[in-house]
Amino acid sequence: MDAQQFSADQLAQGIARGDFTAGEVVATYIKRIEDTDTKVNAFTTRCFDRALQEALVIDSRRARGDALPPLAGVPYAVKNLFDIEGVVTLAGSKVNRSNPPSQADAFLVQRMQAAGAVLMGGLNMDEFAYGFTTENSHYGPSHNPHNLACIAGGSSGGSGSAVAARQVSIALGSDTNGSIRVPASLCGVWGLKPTFGRLSRRGSYPFVHSIDHLGPFADSLSGLALAYDALQGPDEHDPGCHAKRIEPISTALTAGLQGLRIGVLDGYFHDNASDPARQAVQEAARILGVTAQVSWPDAALARAAAFIVTASEGGQLHLDHLRTQAHDLEPLSVDRFMAGALQPAAWYVQAQRFRRVYRDKVNALFEDWDVLLAPATPVSALTIGTEWLDLNGQRLPSRAAMGVLTQPISFAGCPVLVAPLWPAGTEKMPLGVQIIAAPWREELAFRVAHVLENSGVAHLNPVEF
Amino acid sequence: MNEAETLDFVLVSAKALGIPMDAACAERVAAHLQRTAAMAKMLESAALTPFDEPAEIFCPKPQ
Repeated sequence: MDAQQFSADQLAQGIARGDFTAGEVVATYIKRIEDTDTKVNAFTTRCFDRALQEALVIDSRRARGDALPPLAGVPYAVKNLFDIEGVVTLAGSKVNRSNPPSQADAFLVQRMQAAGAVLMGGLNMDEFAYGFTTENSHYGPSHNPHNLACIAGGSSGGSGSAVAARQVSIALGSDTNGSIRVPASLCGVWGLKPTFGRLSRRGSYPFVHSIDHLGPFADSLSGLALAYDALQGPDEHDPGCHAKRIEPISTALTAGLQGLRIGVLDGYFHDNASDPARQAVQEAARILGVTAQVSWPDAALARAAAFIVTASEGGQLHLDHLRTQAHDLEPLSVDRFMAGALQPAAWYVQAQRFRRVYRDKVNALFEDWDVLLAPATPVSALTIGTEWLDLNGQRLPSRAAMGVLTQPISFAGCPVLVAPLWPAGTEKMPLGVQIIAAPWREELAFRVAHVLENSGVAHLNPVEF
Repeated sequence: MNEAETLDFVLVSAKALGIPMDAACAERVAAHLQRTAAMAKMLESAALTPFDEPAEIFCPKPQ
């Protein structure tokens, strides 16, 4: 069995049909991880005993003739800010190592287990999710499977890398300012940042309470849809979970484009993109028959406000670490955490007041449009260690600049699906397109993504190892 | 705030919050804060009225 041969949905179907057992699948993926992780450094924790046990349960259920759940036997892994029972939740840090092991799985890990998925381990990330590159000084950088000298993106870099390297079919990550969308774009996999408040965050280590989202990566759009459906469920114990019901989208994938008003974001989203990033969007627009250009309101102000809220809440959250263990924190982000902790309250309050007005403007925009397109990252993956990025005549700090196109969208809470495209001019590296819908309308983004996948323009590419 | 004023602000604020900070660290933090200050200044241009409340998080009881 070749791990690069089957996607998440194909694995689930094959196991359900009896083409192979869950045990065989898990053994294949364990070997895949053992053979490749020295190259990509995606995993920080391996849960192979648990995986074999979960696979055994699936095979026993099938042997009894039970109906299997939708992700039965599909291997997945989680960014190491998700609680895994019996494992210390690192959140990419060194200082958390002395914390006690988690007493229970995170809410979303429980949902994945209920759907039959098999947990393979925990994945690398930027410390406390404050970064877009996963150049983690404690655990080493995650490498891009399509060019090992390049970043995987971040902060969920291990999640993007693990799916692209076909170590797992599905991974879970978090996205505050782009931390699912950036690695999905740079690693060339499918990614979803749902509506803010759609999925419970209980049992995940927070970064910015008022902007944190969780979501899945997958090696196929159908796999992404299955994972998203499995993850949904109201949770009254997460004050940031606003979902009242499960709204499955797997059955809506094939509804097509009829009736959809689709546009391409111009202005800020054009000015902050390289030629390949623009080409990726143009290619998607061509497939969709889209010519309309649309202006997103106050994008630059929204990025500034997201930056300020992130720094302030993140800095405050880690105040004790800054006071007593600053020397053990990530050198690439500790100064930013400190600067955030010191920000005047007036900046933060202005940003939160702006956010409400901004949300209303974004929601008004979606009265005229159903889906909007934009690049997910300004450029394809940079070489690890790159400090500065020259973009259309601007010299920008590269680590922050990778999120310039994602931050304004998440600040409004809109759902965004990233489709993996492969534009010219990137030396065969991927660059994703954001498919953006109004809050709570994830199914519209999935419908558009399905057309892109069916056309062949959006897909995973195999890696060379 | 100019560079020197930002550095002064960092040192005083860090003391108020109990964050130990040597001179080199304070300079790096001040450089970050100056970049954020530029964003905060830009954000002040947003047209807000006295009635524009912050985005909500608090809820007294789920209905």
